[in-house]
Amino acid sequence: MEKKEQKRHQHKHSGPKAQKKNRKKEQGTEQEQDERKRNPRAFSVQSAVRMAKTFHRAQDIKTKKHHIPLVDRTPLEPPPVVVVVMGPPKVGKSTLIRCLIKNYTRQKLSDICGPVTIVSGKKRRLTLIECNNDINSMIDLAKVADLVLMLIDASFGFEMETFEFLNICQVHGFPRVMGVLTHLDTFKNNKTLSKTKKRLKHRFWTEVYQGAKLFYLSGMVYGEYQTQEVKNLGRFISVMKFRPLVWRTSHPYVVADRMQDLTDPEAIRLNPKCDRTVSLYGYLRGTFLKNKCQVHIPGVGDFSVSDVSFLPDPCPLPEVIKKRALNVKERLLYAPLAGVGGLVYDKDAVYIDMPSGHASRQQEEVRPTTELVQSLIGTQATLDAKMAASKVSLFTGTAALTPEEVQENEKQNPMESREWDENAQRERRRAVFADEDEKDDDEEEESDEAEEEEEEEEDEDEEGLTTLKKVDEKADETAAPPVKKQKIKEPMEMPAFADSDDELEKSEGEESEEEEEGSALIYIKQINLWAIMNLLYVCLSVAEEEEEDSNDEEELGGLFKVSRPERSKKVRADAMDCSRFQPDSSHDWDQEEVRCTSIRDCFVTGKWEEDKDAATLLKENDELYGDFEDLQTGEVHKGDGGDDDDEEEEAPQVKLDDDEVQKNKRLEKKRRLKERFDAQYDDGDATYFDDLKEEMQKQAELNRQEFEDVDDEVRVQYEGFRPGMYVRVEIPALPCEFVTNFDPHYPIVLGGLGPSEGNVGYLQMRLKKHRWHSRILKTRDPLILSLGWRRFQTIPLYYIEDHNGRHRLLKYTPEHMHCGATIWGPITPQGTGFLAVQTVGGIKANFRIAATGVVLDLDKSVTIVKKLKLIGYPYKIFKNTCFIQGMFNTVLEVAKFEGASIRTVSGIKGQIKKALRTPLGAFRATFEDRLLMSDIVFLRSWYPVLVPQLYNPVTSLLMPVGQKDTWAGMRTLGHLKHDLGIRNKPNQDSLYKPVVRQVRHFNTLHIPKELQKALPFKNKPKQMQAKGKTPRDLQRPAVVREPHEKKVAALLDALSSVYAYKNKKAKAEQHAKHKEFLKQKEKQDAERQKRLKEERKKTYRAMGQKEKKKLKSSLKGASKDN
Amino acid sequence: MEFEGCSCFRQRLVLSTLSRKREKILNIRSKDDNPGLRDFEASFVRLLDKVTNGTRIEINQTGTVLFYQPGLLYGGSVEHECNVQRSIGYYLEALLMLAPFGKTLLRAVLKGVTNDPTDPSVDLLKVTAIPLMKKFGIDGAGLEIKVLKRGMTPAGGGEVLFTCPVRRSMKPVQLTEPGKIKRIRGTAISLQMANRIVDSARSILNKFIPDIYIYTDHMKGASSGKSAGFGLTLVAETVNGTFLGAEVMSTPQGQGDPVLPEDFGRNCAKLLLEEVYRSLNRSIIWLVYTILVQRIEFLRHIRDFFQIMFKIEQQKPGEDEQKGGEKVLMTCVGAGYSNISKTIK
Repeated sequence: MEKKEQKRHQHKHSGPKAQKKNRKKEQGTEQEQDERKRNPRAFSVQSAVRMAKTFHRAQDIKTKKHHIPLVDRTPLEPPPVVVVVMGPPKVGKSTLIRCLIKNYTRQKLSDICGPVTIVSGKKRRLTLIECNNDINSMIDLAKVADLVLMLIDASFGFEMETFEFLNICQVHGFPRVMGVLTHLDTFKNNKTLSKTKKRLKHRFWTEVYQGAKLFYLSGMVYGEYQTQEVKNLGRFISVMKFRPLVWRTSHPYVVADRMQDLTDPEAIRLNPKCDRTVSLYGYLRGTFLKNKCQVHIPGVGDFSVSDVSFLPDPCPLPEVIKKRALNVKERLLYAPLAGVGGLVYDKDAVYIDMPSGHASRQQEEVRPTTELVQSLIGTQATLDAKMAASKVSLFTGTAALTPEEVQENEKQNPMESREWDENAQRERRRAVFADEDEKDDDEEEESDEAEEEEEEEEDEDEEGLTTLKKVDEKADETAAPPVKKQKIKEPMEMPAFADSDDELEKSEGEESEEEEEGSALIYIKQINLWAIMNLLYVCLSVAEEEEEDSNDEEELGGLFKVSRPERSKKVRADAMDCSRFQPDSSHDWDQEEVRCTSIRDCFVTGKWEEDKDAATLLKENDELYGDFEDLQTGEVHKGDGGDDDDEEEEAPQVKLDDDEVQKNKRLEKKRRLKERFDAQYDDGDATYFDDLKEEMQKQAELNRQEFEDVDDEVRVQYEGFRPGMYVRVEIPALPCEFVTNFDPHYPIVLGGLGPSEGNVGYLQMRLKKHRWHSRILKTRDPLILSLGWRRFQTIPLYYIEDHNGRHRLLKYTPEHMHCGATIWGPITPQGTGFLAVQTVGGIKANFRIAATGVVLDLDKSVTIVKKLKLIGYPYKIFKNTCFIQGMFNTVLEVAKFEGASIRTVSGIKGQIKKALRTPLGAFRATFEDRLLMSDIVFLRSWYPVLVPQLYNPVTSLLMPVGQKDTWAGMRTLGHLKHDLGIRNKPNQDSLYKPVVRQVRHFNTLHIPKELQKALPFKNKPKQMQAKGKTPRDLQRPAVVREPHEKKVAALLDALSSVYAYKNKKAKAEQHAKHKEFLKQKEKQDAERQKRLKEERKKTYRAMGQKEKKKLKSSLKGASKDN
Repeated sequence: MEFEGCSCFRQRLVLSTLSRKREKILNIRSKDDNPGLRDFEASFVRLLDKVTNGTRIEINQTGTVLFYQPGLLYGGSVEHECNVQRSIGYYLEALLMLAPFGKTLLRAVLKGVTNDPTDPSVDLLKVTAIPLMKKFGIDGAGLEIKVLKRGMTPAGGGEVLFTCPVRRSMKPVQLTEPGKIKRIRGTAISLQMANRIVDSARSILNKFIPDIYIYTDHMKGASSGKSAGFGLTLVAETVNGTFLGAEVMSTPQGQGDPVLPEDFGRNCAKLLLEEVYRSLNRSIIWLVYTILVQRIEFLRHIRDFFQIMFKIEQQKPGEDEQKGGEKVLMTCVGAGYSNISKTIK
């Protein structure tokens, strides 16, 4: 739509208007600043109500913005952001991923399977995952996605999958969602295009939030989206901010980007269906992952991790943050499932891959299967060699060191990663970092060092640690030769402390030695903390394994006393369980010396630290508020600070050190002042919310700092593997289908489970049928739930809470209302959202999400009841008492219900009194009124319902490739009946039959005789008996006239009619005459009346005059008298 | 999980209940003349059964093997007849750890021996454990330990009311600085000799700090329990609000040597000093009330149940400060434990 070019406005350059404008321009700036002053009326309060309203509104908006503050647990080096590209098939997902990869890394990836990790910026990495059109993957990916790119085919409009996915996202905490419209080039008409865009945008907004970002990818160029548009999209992705989601910040999870089967090939050969040991690799996300924890793999099941180790990052962020953009070397791409990636680590080797070449050629070469086999072969060979070499232990306490761990430690040498930079070769090749001999040499060297250190230490603090050393040495001895055996024997042992800790130990030992000199304590010996740790967590567990007794008794710094009795281990195992610590009174507190030297300063009366001493504090305060004047009294207080100045003047020869001290003091003072000011200034509007936030911030800071300086190997043991690390998780006993039916297009998520989340129990949840799901849900129909990490099938029972708190069973979910549901399922923390689908197999036209809800309560018992009416019949009725039978079968049953209230159908209430001897189960009951024999008595009771204990994890990942979306669990009753062709026999009573209506018969009304007598005749029942048959003799014969008689009769008839006519005529005449007469009479009367009136008038007048005269005369007479 | 022997019996059961991991304890006094669980242990297991829902406990015929599958912590009103072999403190220590994670407010009435020489008495727990729990964020009106009746060792007859509110999660705490002791309080339990005990204890402690006050607690009639005895509990409060306690109880009549009340008081005061000397520093970013259990074994159990390891650092004492024994700073990252029994509405 081209608009007509309109003539533009021309500014005046001369004339009064232009002058005025010029004048304004000159003063303009000033005036604009002072709008309020210039035009105060415009800013004055017009209406107090309006003002209050605006204020309220502003406050409302402000408070609405508040969320419960979440602790910021993002690690310093965050894991890659998970970007899920989602959309119905043929919408352009793979194309978009390819374009994004090309945009970020300048590489082409033709086949996208599995997650692709790329470095997108100086501080951000992305993991791109494509979501296929299977509801299982949709659910799994919605749980791990940080950002969802929702592709929408604009030429078609929204599809059900889009809405389903949005609903899934909503339930599992809403990740960021960005819509992308594709296929916009199919619109030929511009108007329809813009209209469609607008329509889709608004629909998208209602679903996500108002103003959600929707991208338009307008067209394709050579099978790719336009570069500029992809670039813009990429920019949006790289600046996106994410809000932490509760479930994810409290659970560790790994989106596996590599899978490796570690099972012994021999075992597989013997039994191809044997359980597999698999190691999965990926970035750890969420929170800290503890070793040996339980994980859930959605689509497979629950497993306990046998081993976790962290590997060097295969796709690291650039080390030095420069101002310029990333160079080509730093734009890394890692997608081992697609066969592309930088470094691929095996147990004993690193594969280096240079991605700068053509991707297509590589892919042919790099098939995971071949690599897998190769690595397996390699592993075995080197393992044997290692076993031979593993005599030397690296460190005193590392009896637990297994050969695997040794190998891993080797791998994490930074040497290798550097090597990788140098080898800029295209084809992927295997890089063995060191020959076996070299490795051995290294190890020996290290061990030599360790031994030396040990010796040193021993020299240093012999008295304190001799005993401990013995233990350590013993541990060494036992640990060295039968390494493999020990591994089997002791599955719980700690992953040993790394070799790098030797230094740590050493340094600490030295430190402690120095302290020893200083402290004049009597019986405290040196604590080598490292030794304590060893003793605590490692050595003793080893020592326990040994059967030989140790006669030496350790006492470490008087703090921990290893109670290892002389006799045998058994005795200790049965030791007295008492928490009271019985100190061996080695102190004689009666001695004054002991008292003074040891604990004097633990009391407030003792000496304080420098920074807390009251005197120092007072002095500082004085410096702060040196002089002040009491304004009320006008008194001037002079502080000590002033004196200090004088002193300084007096003694100008201060040393340089003193200057430094002074400067520091001043800085300190300044800082304090600032703090105080800040505190006062901010105090005004500091709310509870702010305080809470600050507290959380502090805690987060502390958590971060606590282990910052510790070496990674050790740190991992304290706090677990921290998010952002690239970890290798080894899982034993996975079903073989997981490996044989492995499909990289399906995401593998390792969701860590919290303590006790691996258990199963009853869950009470609040549930609502989804308003788009077409049917209501039936109690006891199996339902597939997605809760926490899991997808599982279970049998819910629906209930509603009555006013008295009773949970009453419902047969169906309400149509538009929440109801309760109880299931038997995995224990999941309260407040976790869930969604339910009826089937995960196949694609259906309808909206698949059946219900959504939230977990309310966990329990080991169920409280749902259903109504049960027991029915009985009276068999003997006294006045208000009845004997009722048929309700119970035994006396005992009745006894249980004594005192229960019962009711008849007609509404008469009663109570069960006591059981009768015969018939069995009969009882006596009393009612508020007399019963009839036809009454039915019922007892309303509540019967607890059992929840079926079905918990069936959806094992969709174990299905054969290509059939993964066909998982079908337990069928619903309806499905089953439909499939088997079973139809219910209808209840005969509810069938339709022809209506047969009986004729109603009314009895005659009977009125008592007395009443009849009293009634008026009109209402009296008439005793009209029906005429009976007249007897023969009374019956009269019919008269047949003679012709003559006929004639006579006719004549008489005629005469009578003539007579009647005559009479009638005469009567009419008479009537008319009389009328005339009446008229005349009326006239005469009127005249007469008139006349009479005249006469009366005359007389009255005369009478009146007479009266007047009389009155006058009387008045006259009276005056005369007077 | 499998354990051997009955040492740390309570710890194992409590941690198993909290972590919901089933466990099996083998060889309980299997070599003993009197094998199997003792009465007080059985009583403890019964108490656990009362405060939980759905717990499965299997004990073999001789009582040497115990299988324990924990249920959900429930709380509620509980009345328990504690065995007189151990004092109520034995049971209360475990309840203190469990109670905040129940479904409903716990209101436990424990009957039995309130004070005995082996276990920490109810008074000691009252003055030390309750403030510590408050630091972990379990506060409010509901939290209290109340001695309704006192009962001494052989016969018992005491009664203690313990109520504790439930919490969703704990606050992280840092107890890195013990602080200086600002006052000493105490309770002397005796009818006649209270003053003598108090005086002797004061005579020692007065040299350190003048702010000492020792209450005398005498209950009469039915509330004084079935057997006689006396004891002293002392607690030192620091400026940072940490509490260090010590106590001494008389042995039951007819056992052990008779002790003079003066010696008795002195002993208790010395114990307190010893405690001050050791005063373990605790920095725990989680819930463990290590004040109750200061044993290495406990740390190892925590490792087994929750995979939590403590980082132990040495605290360097100042140049010429006299602050008692060498201390360590222990740090750990919490298990992210939250109360999954509590209902949300």
